[in-house]
Amino acid sequence: MKARRQEDILKRFTERYSTGVSPALNAVERRAIGAVVGANGYTTVAQAERLLSVLDLDPGARLLDIGAGRGWPGLYLSQRSECRAVITDIPCPAIATARARAERLKLIGRSDFALATGSCLPFRDATFDAVVHTDTL
Amino acid sequence: MLRACRRALRPGGRIAYYNIFVTPGLPERLHRRALRAGPPAVASRGISQVDLLLRAGFKSVKETDLTAEFLKTARAWYEGRQSQELELRASCGDAWFEERQADSGAMIPAIQDGLLRRSLFVAESE
Repeated sequence: MKARRQEDILKRFTERYSTGVSPALNAVERRAIGAVVGANGYTTVAQAERLLSVLDLDPGARLLDIGAGRGWPGLYLSQRSECRAVITDIPCPAIATARARAERLKLIGRSDFALATGSCLPFRDATFDAVVHTDTL
Repeated sequence: MLRACRRALRPGGRIAYYNIFVTPGLPERLHRRALRAGPPAVASRGISQVDLLLRAGFKSVKETDLTAEFLKTARAWYEGRQSQELELRASCGDAWFEERQADSGAMIPAIQDGLLRRSLFVAESE
């Protein structure tokens, strides 16, 4: 039952992240989130800033963003703090878009990308200084 | 997942996350309505996130309720899509548009009725 629900969620999110961009979608995202960052959830720019504040990320700190979709907010946190971000999620279209976004933002030198679920993280113990996720189970 | 996060964090490292969840202690009928109305990844366990964090080995756990902001953002998505209806139907399709508006149309009243909440959780790895 749990595995089936997870499959349903993966299918739904893969479809969601396969939607292209358009000026209309960008306008909606800007109205809801406060910026055009490839987001489709409920974490606003102000709330991403709040994460920066509570995590107190130093330049070079290692940040893991789980279920980051197209890289929001992990890439934003990397851009603002100069930390190194590892962006993870399971829908391939989301991670591919996140990577392309990192290239555009010139963050590719301090960002990495992995297809991974939050419950099965392919990293050694004590790898990260901080972990974020936004509305991910 | 929190145990996996705890393992991946260095001692003293921090976790911070936003979480949408079904309001604890609802009668079964309202609990089911909250699950139907919430996003796909809505948390619905009987155990609170604070307890889950403590059990996973975190300390200095802090929860900040942000349900009012959640409602505001959910409305902004709904109203934003409505304001771009013609363009979105043309670029994303009628089914795409109607599915998202129906999802938001169910979720907004559920937030207003106190069935769904969203909080920021911050904790430190021991």
